[in-house]
Amino acid sequence: MARTLAMFTDTSLCIGCRACQVACKQWNELGLETPEWTGTYQNHAHFTEKTFRLVRFIEAPGAKPNGDLAWLLMSDVCKHCAQAGCLDACPTGAIYRTEHGTVNINQDVCNGCRYCVASCPFGVVSFNEQTGTAKKCTFCRIHNGLGPACAKACPTDSIQFGFRDDLVAKANKRVETLKGMGFKDAQLYGADSGGFLGGLNAFFLLLARPATYNLPEHPKLPQRNVVVDSLLSIGSAILVGVGAMLAFRQRGKGGE
Amino acid sequence: MLKVPGWEMSIVWYFFLGGIAGGAYFTAAIADNFGSFRDRAVARVGYLLSLPLVAVCGVLLIVDLGVPTRFMNMMLHFKFWDPMSIGAWAVGIFGAFTFVSSVLSFTASESAASLRRRISLVGMLFGFFLAGYTGVLLSNSAMPFWGDSRLMGALFLASGGSTGMAAVALIMFLSGRSMGESWHKIEVADRFSMLVELLVLAIFLGVLGSAAQPITSGHLGPLFWGGLVGAGLIVPLLLNFFGGRMRALGAVSAALVLLGGFILRYVVVMSIQG
Repeated sequence: MARTLAMFTDTSLCIGCRACQVACKQWNELGLETPEWTGTYQNHAHFTEKTFRLVRFIEAPGAKPNGDLAWLLMSDVCKHCAQAGCLDACPTGAIYRTEHGTVNINQDVCNGCRYCVASCPFGVVSFNEQTGTAKKCTFCRIHNGLGPACAKACPTDSIQFGFRDDLVAKANKRVETLKGMGFKDAQLYGADSGGFLGGLNAFFLLLARPATYNLPEHPKLPQRNVVVDSLLSIGSAILVGVGAMLAFRQRGKGGE
Repeated sequence: MLKVPGWEMSIVWYFFLGGIAGGAYFTAAIADNFGSFRDRAVARVGYLLSLPLVAVCGVLLIVDLGVPTRFMNMMLHFKFWDPMSIGAWAVGIFGAFTFVSSVLSFTASESAASLRRRISLVGMLFGFFLAGYTGVLLSNSAMPFWGDSRLMGALFLASGGSTGMAAVALIMFLSGRSMGESWHKIEVADRFSMLVELLVLAIFLGVLGSAAQPITSGHLGPLFWGGLVGAGLIVPLLLNFFGGRMRALGAVSAALVLLGGFILRYVVVMSIQG
């Protein structure tokens, strides 16, 4: 495998211009959608089958170093998890990991069973009614070396694209800088490859706790309980089966 | 912030009918292998019921896909840890078993009957699988409530058993074959399945606590408590216990079990998707 590629989204640099969101739409030819009122500048409320990059606008009282209300901005995207629930769930093999460590959905193979939608801990994968397939960010343009459209379009370098190890080192330094400036809750989300889901290949620098950004604090791989659940089902099968066996044998062996 | 898969009525029906198909088949296999000569009537009803049901299941699953013509793509791939993948294979393999068992259930020859019994012992494992894996599929998703329930598969399996036996009993009653000892045996077996289901359900709710709220309260609450726990489990259990010689009460009990089995799949599937 080639060196893992990643996207680092530094939310402290985001100005909410949505160039990333527009660039994503344009490059990936994602069609028009009916806008929805969310009560903030944010549109849409969440990822859709035609919105793979989404700038979240969050008002967090008291989150600024001086205690003022902070207007947090975060350009959200598919996390391309190292342990990806969608990939494990896919029964057709349409979802695959590339040699760069990213996770893609092969649109010619997906048959629209939607188990990946239910298996994404971040609610990223979306079902497209028109194509009948599942859709999400592809980490576009990496195979020809251009880098994802969103990262290229970002005017403040809030979204950076590169080798994962380089970006993690950069991100760690940036957290220290921000802490020095008084942002005591500055933290990385998904940078640690020993952490949850084996690390995220699209990781983030947040200025507040993940929950403030509506991100799960400890996302888990949905398939982690498959053995326990199966064993408990087998236990239930034995009870029901033995009960039926006793019922049918009750009048002596053979019955004749 | 999570996204629901949009599995609706066709999946509810699939979970319900798949449970009956699996339950009816393993009951038939047990009656065939461990019961008396007369219990072969039970076995035949079970085999012949599971065949059309599993066919309907296949259709329901294919129709629910985003691109139904690509259903075969699931057969080009196998993941042993993925309930959706093993499930797709199991429906096909189980279907083949129901077909062979159904054909062999018409024979009078003793050697064919012994072959049928041996085949059904293997097919039975797929029957158990079909009845339970749908619960494991839900409990291994990222969805709240579904993913919190370690006993979803165990619950669906017990319900598959009770509904499969109820369906066989009801068919025997309606076709006038509820006279003999076999009818009594299937009633006892169904009673035991219901007790297991009630026990598993109690532990399921106890372990989940407030995480079970999507089915225990809100708009699905009355359906869950009244339709499943009351009308679908407790009332049929009482009828089954105290119905005595009143065969009609046994039939009513079986019909209620089927209703309860459907309500269970409905409230669970719709719980977080409403």
